Amino acid sequence: MQGLDLAYMLGLVPVLLSYVPLTLFMAVVAMALALVLASLLAVERVLRIPVLDQLVVLFISFFRGTPLLVQLFLFYYGLPQVLSVLTQIDGVTAAIMGLTLHFAAYMAESIRAAILGVDRSQWEAAQSIGMTRGQMMRRIVLPQAARIAAPTLVNYFIDMIKGTSLAFTLGVTEMMGATQKEAAGSFLYFEAFLVVAVIYWILVEALSLAQRLLETHLNKAYAR
Amino acid sequence: MSASSALASDTLRVGMSGGYFPFTFVRQDVLQGFEVDVMNAVAEETGLEVEFVTMSFSGLIGALDAGRIDTIANQITITPERSAKFAFTQAYVIDGAQVVVKRGNEDSIAGPADLAGKTVAVNLGSNFEALLRNLPEADKIEIKTYEANIAQDTALGRVDAFVMDRVSSAQLIQESPLPLALAGAPFSEIRNALPFRQDEAGLALRDRVDAALTRLRDSGRLAEISQTWFGTDITVATAAVEK
Repeated sequence: MQGLDLAYMLGLVPVLLSYVPLTLFMAVVAMALALVLASLLAVERVLRIPVLDQLVVLFISFFRGTPLLVQLFLFYYGLPQVLSVLTQIDGVTAAIMGLTLHFAAYMAESIRAAILGVDRSQWEAAQSIGMTRGQMMRRIVLPQAARIAAPTLVNYFIDMIKGTSLAFTLGVTEMMGATQKEAAGSFLYFEAFLVVAVIYWILVEALSLAQRLLETHLNKAYAR
Repeated sequence: MSASSALASDTLRVGMSGGYFPFTFVRQDVLQGFEVDVMNAVAEETGLEVEFVTMSFSGLIGALDAGRIDTIANQITITPERSAKFAFTQAYVIDGAQVVVKRGNEDSIAGPADLAGKTVAVNLGSNFEALLRNLPEADKIEIKTYEANIAQDTALGRVDAFVMDRVSSAQLIQESPLPLALAGAPFSEIRNALPFRQDEAGLALRDRVDAALTRLRDSGRLAEISQTWFGTDITVATAAVEK
């Protein structure tokens, strides 16, 4: 067992940090898109609009039922064989698309649970003052559901940040891809993977801090 | 990361793993290696703009097939299956398959004949799995395919040996801190070349690059690049490699 090469690790830090913006860019864009998509899917699941409901069920079933890596390969290498215009999509876009669809399927279910978790009396009160179903969702139910769903949604975001490490298989050199290449060039596997692990860890810890602030904010109306 | 096809005729998009020392690897964020130098020389000869696209090895063939890259510079061995699907240039590296073991085990495993009953690692999608399956006692060898880090796993004792090309095995043993040793002589000649898609544009590119390789060979540039990375000329056949 040889000692850790600390000089190598220190030298690697700025190199890997330069990939943090790309990792965060993919995760943040995919999260924003997934939130919108998942909310629409969840509302549909609660309202059960005919025909659309069957399609949404199929969508959720497929994207929850197959691994993210399979979906990424399907979009990036598979579909262009059927539709050649799809070769125009670059790796970053394909990775964001894959992450969005995959996580939207999961998040839709947790948002649906949160919507159903809003007390029934809130729905009845909204209806009693003549709100439409759309108004009721937007003004009364969703804001309260957001508070219930927040912790699980942050969990999905954390998972998404780590999920960006699969983008290297699509030719996107992100933080993990850069680490693999550096490790292959130096043979210092332990050092390289330790550095990248710590960087991911710090990123997620920073996010956990943001989560606490967000929860305080969402809970304001309920604080005594 | 980009896939600009607007300038496809002037740009040669070259896929590589960036993780195959010393052919293609990264140090401090700089992509380098034998393949990088060869492709830059090809670019100079042809006047094409070369664009390196790095991705994990298992994605490379799919990317070539889908038109996301134009060729792969990652020591791709010419095999009958690959020749049926892709158009190859002339071989620019001639090498042999090599068994590598953890240092100290080279007496018990002295070549491919000793692999029966052993677990042997190969890189996923590489040609060495097929070479192993063609050995007389192939059914007694347990083959494990890896996405990366076969050398590390052999050094850790998780597998008994790995099989890779002779040149990079020797280089790896010399340069890396891993306790590894060559087990006997190389056992099969392998010829590595650049694959292109078998369509009009792909074949035209192949011919251009192939002509450039001939000029680089004639001018001695190819041998020179080999000398810088390996201290020997791996671009021609040697007697050391048994057919």
